[in-house]
Amino acid sequence: MSRFALCILAFFSVNVSLAVAGDVEAGKARYAQNCYICHGPSGKGMASYPKLAGKEISYLVDRLERYRAEERFGPNSDLMIMNAMPLSDEEIANLAAYLNSAKVK
Amino acid sequence: MKKSLLSALFFLGFSVLATSSFAGHHGNKSAVVPEMKQEAVLTGLESPWDTDFLANGTMFFTEKCKGFSVRLPSGKVHALYGMTGSSGFADAGEDLWCTNQAGMLGIAVDPNFEKNRRIYVASASTKYHGAGCKTNFERCDGNIVMRFEVSKDFKSVSKRTDIVQDIQFKPFESNHPFGGNGAHNGNRPTFGPDGALWITTGDRHRGVCPQSPDLMCGKVLRIDTDGNAHPGNKPPKGYDKRIYTYGHRNVQGIAFRSDGHVFTAEHGPWHNDELTMLVNGGNGGWDPRQNMGGRGECPDEYCGYMPNQKKGVIPAVRAAFMPMSDTRFADLMPPAWQNNGYSQGTSSIVFLEGKQWGMYEGRAVVGIMGIAFGGTPAGMRLDVYDIAKDGQSIKSVIHLPVEAKRYRGVTLGPDGALYANTDEGEIYKITAK
Repeated sequence: MSRFALCILAFFSVNVSLAVAGDVEAGKARYAQNCYICHGPSGKGMASYPKLAGKEISYLVDRLERYRAEERFGPNSDLMIMNAMPLSDEEIANLAAYLNSAKVK
Repeated sequence: MKKSLLSALFFLGFSVLATSSFAGHHGNKSAVVPEMKQEAVLTGLESPWDTDFLANGTMFFTEKCKGFSVRLPSGKVHALYGMTGSSGFADAGEDLWCTNQAGMLGIAVDPNFEKNRRIYVASASTKYHGAGCKTNFERCDGNIVMRFEVSKDFKSVSKRTDIVQDIQFKPFESNHPFGGNGAHNGNRPTFGPDGALWITTGDRHRGVCPQSPDLMCGKVLRIDTDGNAHPGNKPPKGYDKRIYTYGHRNVQGIAFRSDGHVFTAEHGPWHNDELTMLVNGGNGGWDPRQNMGGRGECPDEYCGYMPNQKKGVIPAVRAAFMPMSDTRFADLMPPAWQNNGYSQGTSSIVFLEGKQWGMYEGRAVVGIMGIAFGGTPAGMRLDVYDIAKDGQSIKSVIHLPVEAKRYRGVTLGPDGALYANTDEGEIYKITAK
């Protein structure tokens, strides 16, 4: 492949990456499926489950991807691994976008 | 015509039978389904854990990582006693702290409050750790019960006295699911009709706790308001005299039926939850020690999530390997209800009293908090159990028609309403008519 073709591929990859930036509303809907049961309404956190509202997108995506890869962080890892494993890249992006924007009521 | 008449008589007879089948063990003959109303009394709280009331509706409540407060009948709230790092409280205990499941949990008002103005609060505390909390395999006295006196204007408390100083606490994370420090504390103090103070505790993820004669973890205690053993307790020979029952996992709920029987709501492992009628000196049957009951070694000497604790296992297999009520104990208290292969997080329990509750009068309301994972349906509800008179079974269980919430505590108010606090941060008043 020529250097030019690689540049073109890289250009489109960046744009595809931008195109799958999270959808807040879709993330909100996915969060409402089961995440809220532990992390509470709007990601405020409750009991021993941490607050997620307002966290940086990069942090949220990183943690969800690593839980999905069965990496452990803290005592509730087994629970998070089970819940993260079915998530698609798009769902992770959507969840991160929603939680980053969420305001605790 | 004759056939129709017979049919009508048959139907009438069936109706009478159906009606009496709703009758509770208290002689409640109502078949009326009450009209329910749910309204928020307080919102925006941080993990409210427990409530208790004075006769005029004054409500004391705890917040797990903040402290305890009082809401007056006028609606005004005074923050009375905080924890380390909290602010806005009239006073604070720097030894009181929270982590994961632990913190300031249960609260109980003295039956003689009008005379002595005393309340009792259970919390995690560093005050009595001493040198006993260096590892997870030491006793680590880190849960306590405190007694306070409330000022006449309800703006402050004084005379803190730690009447129980030696309920064990889990100091470090362990190799278990939900293995964080501060696990399994129980900590729901409640006064019984006998005037005694009943304290529930948890196994703090330590295998030896529930069956231990001298560790207070995994027990139900019955004491006086100075912390002394109730003279009527009948624990096995050699056991601490404060123990009413032992062999428990994590008792977050305790309530007294009008016939005097006491019931616990016990949060189970992956394959169960239980409601149990207690017997003085009885054994709940939880024994997560390794090398016991046919089991070998277990992670960090605690078999409570085994076998194959990090992966899914058929619930019946898990229950057979690590039973919540192990029948090898001759003094076992069989549960009235068990959750049929699920653990959905039983929290608090209270019996409904008063005709306004219609067909629910005399039945037990239990918070089911379940977080829904591994094939277990979500909880997020209040269930109503019609427990048999002998406490060995239930006649029925239904969902109370209330909002889906993580109900941590349920208390019957002096107005006959049910007060339910949620991990989301609300305290609800649920009325029936």
